[in-house]
Amino acid sequence: MSDVQTPTAIAASAVPIPAVAAESVGKSFNPGTRKQVDALVDVSLTIRPGEFVSLIGPSGCGKSTLLRVVADLLQPTSGTLLVNGKSAKQARLDQDYGMAFQQAGLFEWRNVARNIELPLEIRGWDAARRHARSKEMLELVKLPDFANHMPWQLSGGMQQRIAIARALAANPPLLLMDEPFGALDEMTREHMQAELLSICAATGTTVVFVTHSIPEAVYLSDRVVVMSPRPGRITSIIDVALGDARNDDTREASEFYRKITEVREALRGADHAGRSATTGARGIEDR
Amino acid sequence: MIESVLAPTDVVLAREPRKLPVRRALMAPLALLLFVVVWEGYKAIGPENGASIFGWKLIPRTSDRAMPHIIDMLRRFGRPEVRGANERTVLSVVIAATWYSLRLSLFGLVVGVAAGLFLATLMSRFNLARRALLPYLVASQTVPLIALAPITVNWGGKLRPFGHEFPAWMAAATLSAFLAFFPIAIGALRGFASPKDTSVELLDSYAASWWQGFRKLRFPSAVPFLIPALKLAASLAVVGVVVSEISIGLRFGIGRLVISYYQDGTSDPAKVFTAVMGAVVLGLVMGGLVAMADRFLTRARPTEANS
Repeated sequence: MSDVQTPTAIAASAVPIPAVAAESVGKSFNPGTRKQVDALVDVSLTIRPGEFVSLIGPSGCGKSTLLRVVADLLQPTSGTLLVNGKSAKQARLDQDYGMAFQQAGLFEWRNVARNIELPLEIRGWDAARRHARSKEMLELVKLPDFANHMPWQLSGGMQQRIAIARALAANPPLLLMDEPFGALDEMTREHMQAELLSICAATGTTVVFVTHSIPEAVYLSDRVVVMSPRPGRITSIIDVALGDARNDDTREASEFYRKITEVREALRGADHAGRSATTGARGIEDR
Repeated sequence: MIESVLAPTDVVLAREPRKLPVRRALMAPLALLLFVVVWEGYKAIGPENGASIFGWKLIPRTSDRAMPHIIDMLRRFGRPEVRGANERTVLSVVIAATWYSLRLSLFGLVVGVAAGLFLATLMSRFNLARRALLPYLVASQTVPLIALAPITVNWGGKLRPFGHEFPAWMAAATLSAFLAFFPIAIGALRGFASPKDTSVELLDSYAASWWQGFRKLRFPSAVPFLIPALKLAASLAVVGVVVSEISIGLRFGIGRLVISYYQDGTSDPAKVFTAVMGAVVLGLVMGGLVAMADRFLTRARPTEANS
């Protein structure tokens, strides 16, 4: 456990400003009381611009908490955190990141285009610029003919694509995703993963991706960050990088399975470190 | 696979834009006809002087004095209000009284909705305001209206809002608003608190101001809560006007007219029912206005993009 907290070394050699630089970040709920919960302890992680990093671990390991700390929706109780070289709060005020959740969370009283334009309205873009941008985003997520549809007219996968378009509308350098495909069926999910990769390739967006699914993390990521609960912490970071030419064949390649096994074993090891050796890593999907 | 992703769900079929169905438009006249048939049917077969069951007088009388023929009520509309005097017909008096009460009810409803929304916004913005106000709002509705009415009319002699007198009609409208604001305030408060956590987080992630969040998320989320509240408020606004007309003795209104026609009941039994019909029309018009507001508010959602 102690030998894996070295990724900060990357920051020293990297020239560009890291997209996310977390240094010994801790987050406790109800600190100082009997109900104190240590959601994150001593988390150090540096993410390069353009990198795709997944956070994986059983329920309660703090992966969603870490994502929310990066998003400045939660304040860390210790450590330092920089997003694009600024404080997380400044990054939020500058709309330096977009966010997508498990539920698409589209506003049902707005049509698709106006949902995508929501962050732009908040930023005060004028109508013409907003329309042009939402049209562009609809092209990007391959739903150009759906601008005037209402959210309830779309399937779950389409709604999630609109949510991604909304998250990317203001062209943020960083995309934070909290199990965005968790509610989709397996076929749609694999399709969406491929879509996400092509969108990221097109935009150069950095992604922090929280997931329960090992194959999803392996397929998508440059690096998989394995976390364990009680207290929530990083136990290992696994380089995956299956290459830019990932496609459906990648999912059947032996390298893919080798990495899945590696992540799974890291999760088991994390689990053993966390509690008794007899139980497996709960809340993790092998599919 | 791509088709399955792209295909809109069949939910679409269940939520086609609403059309005004002919069948629904026919329901209202049919219900009216049914009422006439039941009224006249019972009048034809029921006992003239009513009947008792186990010593309780449960079966209503059907005499012309208790249950005039519908046609007599309608004919009564055409004749002058007071026998011998040939000035105004009952119809014109009832219409004028209904119109007068309708204006008061609308005024009360508009003021009540505005006050309710304002209070709910305040309570949703400031926790302190909610804790301080909410118990009093609930308590305010336990005050008996009849007891309040004479007090408000008494203000007429003391209050001089904007340099004008506080007229009696305003007392009725105040009471109407006093009843109408409550469901709006409670409904809006719940509606403003209804957005999901992730929606709130989403706006936080945009660094949206409270006011932006209110306009773009909280208020639109409250619309489904506001529609039933509006229905309640409309009927309470009517009740407020009619009851306070009677209790403060405000002339011109339909509530007052029902009482005054009722007093002619022995000699002119059909007359009171003309005023009752006016009151029914008042309720129907208010209900219709709310239904139109409902249609506008929910219809506005799919077409909001054009705004």
